[in-house]
Amino acid sequence: MKYSMLVLKNLMRSKRRTILTIISIAVSLFIFSALVSLPTVANELLADSASSVRIAVHNKAGLTYGVPESYKTRIGATPHVVAVMGESWFGGIYHEVSDAFPNLAVDPETAEQMWTDWDISKESFDDFHKIRTAALVGQGTMKRFGLHVGQQIMLRGTIYPINVTLKIVGTMGGKSPPNFLLFRRDYLEEAIGRPGFVSIYWARADSSAAVPGIIAAIDEEFANSTAETQSESEAAFMGGFMDNFRAFFTMAKVLGLIVVITIALVAANTAAMSIRERRAEIAVMRSLGFSSRLVLILLLAESLIIGLIGGVLGCGGAYIALKVFSTGSPAAGPLSAIRMPPTVLAETLVVAALIGLFSALVPAQAAARRNIVDALRAVA
Amino acid sequence: MSERTAIELDNVSRIYRRDEFEVRALDGVTMRVPAGRFVAIMGPSGSGKTTMLNLIAGIDHATSGRVAVGGEEVTRMNERELARWRGRHIGLVFQFYNLIPVLTAFENVELPLLLTDLKKTERRHHVEAALKVVGLADRVDHYPRQLSGGQEQRVAIARAVVTDPTIIVADEPTGDLDARSAEEILNLMRDLNREFHKTIVMVTHDQRAERFVETVYHLDKGILAGVEAGRRVPAQAAAPSAAHGA
Repeated sequence: MKYSMLVLKNLMRSKRRTILTIISIAVSLFIFSALVSLPTVANELLADSASSVRIAVHNKAGLTYGVPESYKTRIGATPHVVAVMGESWFGGIYHEVSDAFPNLAVDPETAEQMWTDWDISKESFDDFHKIRTAALVGQGTMKRFGLHVGQQIMLRGTIYPINVTLKIVGTMGGKSPPNFLLFRRDYLEEAIGRPGFVSIYWARADSSAAVPGIIAAIDEEFANSTAETQSESEAAFMGGFMDNFRAFFTMAKVLGLIVVITIALVAANTAAMSIRERRAEIAVMRSLGFSSRLVLILLLAESLIIGLIGGVLGCGGAYIALKVFSTGSPAAGPLSAIRMPPTVLAETLVVAALIGLFSALVPAQAAARRNIVDALRAVA
Repeated sequence: MSERTAIELDNVSRIYRRDEFEVRALDGVTMRVPAGRFVAIMGPSGSGKTTMLNLIAGIDHATSGRVAVGGEEVTRMNERELARWRGRHIGLVFQFYNLIPVLTAFENVELPLLLTDLKKTERRHHVEAALKVVGLADRVDHYPRQLSGGQEQRVAIARAVVTDPTIIVADEPTGDLDARSAEEILNLMRDLNREFHKTIVMVTHDQRAERFVETVYHLDKGILAGVEAGRRVPAQAAAPSAAHGA
């Protein structure tokens, strides 16, 4: 503690340089933490669904092709399947095109069994069963549009030429995507004239061990039919979705790394300049009895403080920015609920500390070990 | 009764290597400085004065020979031991003061005390006492840039004495000062020697220094060329010093 005055005074020696260094580290770590958050959140989503007992059954030709409604009973008859729920993508918008968010029509009778981990209250499910126009809305979407339970809203169809009027009966939390809206599929079917197709069937297994067997059985059941199925565990389904973003994630990581390396070099140059200017002072301190080790610690402490302040500002800024934009575009699917995971927060602070320490390590070591007489003579 | 020896150099040589050349800065110097003396090392440029001072202060290593200060053999100490020893026993004064520009006079003087176990209040008392001795009790919050050269050197002297070291070594302490300030600094050092019985070794070109010191060692081309008594004037005949004025 008694050396803190010395460290702080030296930090304030050139305020402009210190502030600019902090800002450059903050900006780079803002970019780094924001970029690294994307793949980390994606991986967390996949990890969350790894032990899921849900199976997605969709058309083998792709998600844009539907699955006949008649498959529901046959999927439900597969051994170890405890529930089946149809899900159709509505793709409605609230007011403007920019107000788009994921909204899906689901079978009300099995939704409760399917989404046990979405923190939907019993009362909300009861209303969802009773009210034909009922909707369950994610908290992100509620907040984004300032909605409240009991409110009536209208979604304009973009895929189907209809509008649906919905009454919000409850909110979704837990592991549900915060920007989702669910309403009843029977209501949608009636409004669009019962085409008899759903986008996906979700089947729930009685145990995770039964999932591979169910997948094989379902796909075998519909082999050589007009609408062959491709069944996947929830983790594989999410993974397939994430694959679309894989190249982007890799690029994000590489860019984040480049930004960090670049700023570490800039910080190293600044630290070297700052220490070089103080060679005589360092020599004087050592002549007064400060050991090389203590001098090294003091110099590294200065650099560490700069790095950590930059880190806190950078990842703090990124944390706030991601929170503000957390109800972003539906095109990002589950990733529209992007946020900064605590692991990224911790990683960024560690990176900030490392930038601080390593940027000053070489010049600080050289200054701390330099012959006192040579250092004094060079300045005299 | 024989006098206690503060500084002892036995056949000390210091050879620097500059590329392919060897520079023999000190060549087999043997000398003894009794405790409590104020001595000057004089000689032309390149005679090895500063080298000798650096060896006594433990900031340089002898190539051969033995250096003992305050009974401790400096030549046997490693870097870590030397640093600790310097902090306890040596007060250094430089020609260009070498104060830390971002620290106030108080903080500059406090610097060597940070290495001790003293509490903050104890450190404050020591610093205030040291600044009072050098006549700068009213300049505690001044930064070096706000002080004159003479005042800066006094702060440097306060920094040198604040740990109550055994020996004060000063390298051209008046070399960057005008005549009046130089006289004040020499007076101050003489008073420190007289009143606090500090052993002071000063390297200087300043001929006035002979009036303040007890012994002058003459170096020439790295060899101790001679030792003579200083022409020290009685205290009452000298101008009032900062220490008296404080």
